[in-house]
Amino acid sequence: MKMKGLGLLLASAALAVGLGTAAMADDTLDRGMGSEWSTLDPQVVFDGATGWILMDAYEGLVNFGPGGGIIPGAAESWEASEDGKTYTFHLREGLKWSNGDPLVAQDYVNTVFRTLDPATISEKGYYFYSTVKIKGAEAIANGETTDIATLGVTAPDDRTVVIEMETPGPHILYLMGAFQMSPLHKPSLEANGPAGFGDPAKVVSNGAYVIKEVVPQSHILLEKNPNYWDAANVSIPFVKYYVTEDVSTEFKRFQAGELDVTYDIPVNQIEVVKETIPDQVFISPSTEVTFYSFNLQVPALQDINVRTALAYAINREVLQEKIVKAGAVPSYAFAGGFDPDYQGPQMPGADLTQAEREAKAKELMAAAGYGPDNPLKLTIVTTVAEDRVRLAQGVALMWKQVLGVQAEVKPMERKAWLDEFYAGGWDVFADGLIGDFAGPETFLAYMRPSTDPGYHWVKPEYDAAMDVAATKPDKESRDAELAKAEKILLDDFLFAPIAIEAARSLVSTKVKGWEPSGAGYYNSQFLKLE
Amino acid sequence: MLRFVGKRLWNGTLTLAALVTLTFFVMRLAPGGPFSRNRKISPEVQANIEAAFHLDEPIWMQFGRFVWGVLRFDLGPSTRFRDYSVNDLIASGLPYSLTIGFWAILVAALVGIALGIVGALRRNGLTDYVAGTVGVIGIAIPIFVIGPVLQVIFALKLGWVPVGGWNEGMRSVILPILVLALPNIAYISRLTRTSMIETLRENYVRTARAKGIGGRRVLLRHTLKGALLPVVAYLGPATASIITGSVLIETVFALPGVGRHFVDAALNRDYPLVMGITLLYGGLLILFNIGTDVLRAWMDPRLRNAQ
Repeated sequence: MKMKGLGLLLASAALAVGLGTAAMADDTLDRGMGSEWSTLDPQVVFDGATGWILMDAYEGLVNFGPGGGIIPGAAESWEASEDGKTYTFHLREGLKWSNGDPLVAQDYVNTVFRTLDPATISEKGYYFYSTVKIKGAEAIANGETTDIATLGVTAPDDRTVVIEMETPGPHILYLMGAFQMSPLHKPSLEANGPAGFGDPAKVVSNGAYVIKEVVPQSHILLEKNPNYWDAANVSIPFVKYYVTEDVSTEFKRFQAGELDVTYDIPVNQIEVVKETIPDQVFISPSTEVTFYSFNLQVPALQDINVRTALAYAINREVLQEKIVKAGAVPSYAFAGGFDPDYQGPQMPGADLTQAEREAKAKELMAAAGYGPDNPLKLTIVTTVAEDRVRLAQGVALMWKQVLGVQAEVKPMERKAWLDEFYAGGWDVFADGLIGDFAGPETFLAYMRPSTDPGYHWVKPEYDAAMDVAATKPDKESRDAELAKAEKILLDDFLFAPIAIEAARSLVSTKVKGWEPSGAGYYNSQFLKLE
Repeated sequence: MLRFVGKRLWNGTLTLAALVTLTFFVMRLAPGGPFSRNRKISPEVQANIEAAFHLDEPIWMQFGRFVWGVLRFDLGPSTRFRDYSVNDLIASGLPYSLTIGFWAILVAALVGIALGIVGALRRNGLTDYVAGTVGVIGIAIPIFVIGPVLQVIFALKLGWVPVGGWNEGMRSVILPILVLALPNIAYISRLTRTSMIETLRENYVRTARAKGIGGRRVLLRHTLKGALLPVVAYLGPATASIITGSVLIETVFALPGVGRHFVDAALNRDYPLVMGITLLYGGLLILFNIGTDVLRAWMDPRLRNAQ
């Protein structure tokens, strides 16, 4: 009787299975996106995976091709002035919005203005007044003026966008392709307000795809945009982005064929998938760096010898290959490793072997007055994420073994961890930074004391070196100056470099054209489904 | 009876008010805020963010604003999901959670009670032992273990159902419903069995038997009503917690319900969403408890008269 009850249940389950065999559409690319989008407002969106959706739905002046290289987008060509301060973009002829409205240069001007306008409450304004210094941008962001005519982005005619900067900024092209530069369809915004961006019935976009369906906590469905200028070369008719918060569920959904591309790979499965499905595993360096910052307010850490010893005692290879095992690349630098053109410096001692570094570290610690009777005590503040805690414990263990340092790991929730940084209640901060693009520029700009006072780092030479770099209009000489600045930063051991984090995805063999991208963009328009 | 219900509702409202007040202030004690970030932003934007979500006001004023909003059924904007209000998020997630919860509780109640009755009638038989073992397993193995195991068997190996998501109608949610029902089946069957055995020994049942009333009739008319009292007491709060969505189930099966917001909102310091979900959960829990009390009072006159 009991078994009958269970049997009945199973039978009804089987029945439902038989009835509900919905056809799995082959015309849809199914992509995992991790956490849910915070908003679909292009001038506000800040999270990376939502950026992928916007990259599919909108097109900037330039675009990122397969592999992440810069290619023409809405603008078919552009040129820089001799001094590198003015960029002029020429839009293609006959560009259209998804609703058929003509797309004009002013739509791009409006984007920059709306991003900066404090009333938009966007956190991205700094792209336009700090990452690149567009004329008049900071005054608008600070609420000093609301006059769009004061902005250094103008549209002299419907097919020309001119951007004037205060200092040369060859890296501006990265921003012109990213979703930060999605054009703004002002009539829609005025009619529907910002919520309209997330409403499939109302949203108007200009990219290879349009937003067709939005189900919170579940998915966003995109459909090919027939009004896109290059629609003839867009192969996949539908793209569906799934919220995949649980990485092991995402992994199983991939195995079951429900997903073609995953957002991540469970860390404990990396070795397995590398063995079993090596052709579907894509692990490549992202633009996220991990480094351990030292609190310069703490007397013991004001001694550069102590900071150097701590940085030397970390065995970065063992940490990544034996302890964390999440595919990150051990790093001895800060701003290098993403951009193949940038020849940046490494931290002092990077050319030594680990054994030599450890011997040197012991000497330095002893010279600073620490030893078995007088051990240095530190707290490491990190986030609660499992691999981050493991990393911190690994570092603490190495410091203990090599230097006898008693380091206590304090995991904190992310929001608390963020606040703790400025509160300063830490000796060592498990720090990280995600670059806005794959170049040294944003990393180094971020460490300027004026940009982030939380480090209490005073180094006029660094600011001076960055100021010199900012005057260089061409990438090569600019990179050379940036490298000088990075050397000042690394020499001072404000932090111990740890690793470049990995972007990890599983990509089904059905998907063709997936290439590791330094920029972190994988536009669906360049992919094919077989 | 009406007075009884009225009193319960009044007490429930007070409890809910206390819960919500406590949550509001305790939440603010946690370090970090909804807009903690690792980049400096322009002070103008910072001020606008705070003004938009009234974070610049004194906390008692924010609380007053929240209470006023609740009275107008407006829970305010979410700080994390900028395109939605808290009302939108609950309205979008609750139907999914309700559907899964409804089926799970129905399956749990029917199967659990049936197993319990049979267990009580054929005590210590083989089937009773099997059901008992299954019951212990159902209670002991947590959802985050049994869920993935069932996913591997039924979705990956057999391919009968999808691993996750809600893209193929009810077929998508057979596993979550089962997993959600399982511990409840176990609990309800144990509860029914024990209570049934006790009731079968009661004098009134023996009296009925002595009067020559047939076995089936004694069972249905006399024993069952008494035996199900503890089950009903359990079902009330269980239903409330099940239909408001399970964080674990929704995470493991990637379902768009409202349960996932509960933890996420707290982690993201999405104050309005935390308050909205607390109000929803608290309200439903209290309501179902009252419903249970009423049902029990109806089933057992002794309880009613005691009030």
